Amino acid sequence: MIELIDVEKRFGGVAAVEGISLRVPSGKVCALVGTSGCGKSTTLRMINRLIAHDGGEIRLDGQPIDSVDPVQLRRRIGYVIQHTGLFPHWRVARNIALVPRLLRWPKERIEARVAELMALLGLSFDELAHKYPHELSGGQAQRVGVARALAGDPDILLMDEPFGALDPLTREKLQEEVARLQSSLHKTIVFVTHDMDEALRLADHLVIMRAGRIVQQGSPLALLRAPEDPFVESLLGGLERGLKQAALMRVRDHMGSLGPSLPSASRISIDASLRQGLSIMLRDHAERLTVVDGKDVPVGELSLRRLIKETQWEQPTSP
Amino acid sequence: MTAISKEERTARQGSDKCFVPNIVLITLSLGLLMLLWSVDSVSIAPNRIVPGSGFMLWQALGLPGALLVSVLIAALAALALTPQKRFYSAQLIIIALLLLLMPFGLMVAGALLIEPDMPQARLGVSGGFWCLLFVMLLALVEVRLRLKLSRLWPALLLCFVAAVWWLCALSWLDHVALVQEFKARDAQFMRALQQHLVLVGVSVSLSVVLGLALALAMRRFSRLNRLGFALLNFVQTIPSLALFGLLLAPLAWLASQVPLLARLGVSGIGMAPALIALVAYSLLPMVRNTYTALDEVDEATLEAATAMGMRSAQRFWQVRLPLALPVLIEGVRITAVQAIGLATVAALIGAGGLGTFIFQGLGQAAMDMVLLGALPILVLALLVDASLGALAERLRPEGMQ
Ligand SMILES: Nc1ncnc2c1ncn2[C@@H]1O[C@H](COP(=O)(O)OP(=O)(O)OP(=O)(O)O)[C@@H](O)[C@H]1O
Ligand SMILES: [Mg+2]
Repeated sequence: MIELIDVEKRFGGVAAVEGISLRVPSGKVCALVGTSGCGKSTTLRMINRLIAHDGGEIRLDGQPIDSVDPVQLRRRIGYVIQHTGLFPHWRVARNIALVPRLLRWPKERIEARVAELMALLGLSFDELAHKYPHELSGGQAQRVGVARALAGDPDILLMDEPFGALDPLTREKLQEEVARLQSSLHKTIVFVTHDMDEALRLADHLVIMRAGRIVQQGSPLALLRAPEDPFVESLLGGLERGLKQAALMRVRDHMGSLGPSLPSASRISIDASLRQGLSIMLRDHAERLTVVDGKDVPVGELSLRRLIKETQWEQPTSP
Repeated sequence: MTAISKEERTARQGSDKCFVPNIVLITLSLGLLMLLWSVDSVSIAPNRIVPGSGFMLWQALGLPGALLVSVLIAALAALALTPQKRFYSAQLIIIALLLLLMPFGLMVAGALLIEPDMPQARLGVSGGFWCLLFVMLLALVEVRLRLKLSRLWPALLLCFVAAVWWLCALSWLDHVALVQEFKARDAQFMRALQQHLVLVGVSVSLSVVLGLALALAMRRFSRLNRLGFALLNFVQTIPSLALFGLLLAPLAWLASQVPLLARLGVSGIGMAPALIALVAYSLLPMVRNTYTALDEVDEATLEAATAMGMRSAQRFWQVRLPLALPVLIEGVRITAVQAIGLATVAALIGAGGLGTFIFQGLGQAAMDMVLLGALPILVLALLVDASLGALAERLRPEGMQ
């Protein structure tokens, strides 16, 4: 668990961040979003003591971070940055092995770990382990960066615009993979991003910052339902907000039982999002969709009328 | 994907270049041809004192020899008209051939021009010959760059050529004045060479160690930084001779006060002041290069090292130093080449070295003796330059251009 309590950082008298309080429970993902220069990176880097905080307290699992040796602390925290920061004079395998070597793991264990991580991130060991970072594509390099951060098996992962420098397709692929990894690894993750869709997609907890302060925080759905001010609303997509919200809701939770009327010809998978459902309705000029399970067997019905009337859609649920 | 397109682009650039004549090589070869046919190549003097009379290329080598040389040089120019990779390779071969043929040319000249009844006669090497050597070295550099060869290969080629020349000089070139000067004082030459190497070796190693320490101290204590560079820059502006002179009095005084130092060989003249002055001069390039080398390492990479949990010593030895090493070695190269030249002046304060021949020769107006000192200095500088350059290239992490 990561806790920041009224944390403050000043650079030469000017506050870069102020009054930051937030809590990320173990195994959850927290995204920091905000305009450029609002203090996202500063907040992140205070957690692994790359920057010392000037006020307040930061605790990991209840332990204040100033009470541990910063070097030991950092070896327990994975860190991924935008331009990978891979060491240009080391091959991929050596780059990934960095933290395990610092932790003095036995050689066989390190080798096994490197192979395991490369497989986990879809990097071919035979093809890439002996390459230098400059011989990798941007996507590969970023995967190596993530593998390096995970190598010491840290409980906590900090990522500063991890996919910011990648093209949209590669970015989406990596987001998917991080989501997949997270569902099995359950790390406690704090990440910074400029991409609201990325934040909505990956985060359990969304923190909106402006000028060194937190404007609003909460679950993505809660924020989408009730943005506190126009700034948050515009960050959350303005008029597109409804669709972004629909993207986070699943057909499974909003379908009704099959009615007596003739089932609709348009079908949708039970695992799809409401946003995809709305899209199909628009495409097929259908007010109702037949919901099917993995075996294409009808299991329910998604009705536009019911969706619009549904109270849960409008009312914010308290987190 | 980016890698492929990059290759494609360079390939296309390469093929474009095929049709652009290499002006450098053409100008060099044509200029050389003109010089060779208009300037003396060798001179013959009946003895050491009397100035010799000059002979042109065709007189020295005979017409067939002169034509052979000219054809080779013309071929060099012709190949440069539509340069391609294999043409450059051919040029490399021609250059090597010409360099190797040069001592044999001197043999031919000796046989053609020196009458058997003149055992004292000396064959002097003049303008044309030196031009040929000089232009071939320039062309070698150009071809190396075009072929994107490492510095190592031309260095090895030059070593081979030098060995052949050496062999020829010892066995067959008795008439050449330079060889005669050498044979007259080979023991002295060897001692001077040794002294020169000791002067350079000791001063460069000392300044590498001191320079590294100083650069590190300057990085740590930023106040030292300005003062240090100001001092080193100031030392650099003192003329070398003056610095040697300035050291004379204090060292002589020291030696008279501390007998132990005197017994260790410290005195106002000789090795000690020469070494001190050389180190003082070498420190600036060494410190400056070390400082910038360490400073230029990418901040993001260093921060990643910290963020992964490296201690500052680990970060220095495993990341900063290896990444700075190529630039650092460049500093050593510059320092060493400079020291090889400066050590010449050390002869004036009795430290010996190859400078001895230069100053003696100048005093006696014996140009061949000057050359006996100057040529090895040149060769030394070239060798050190090439080998340290090659080392820096090798150490450059394969991940960086
Ligand atoms: N080392 C530093 N010294 C002085 N000021 C700093 C330093 N690091 C950050 N700042 C200032 O602190 C503020 C917050 O910077 P920070 O890097 O946290 O922004 P950010 O939200 O990450 O921005 P971006 O999205 O552009 O990365 C900025 O005004 C920046 O100028
Ligand atoms: Mg930032």
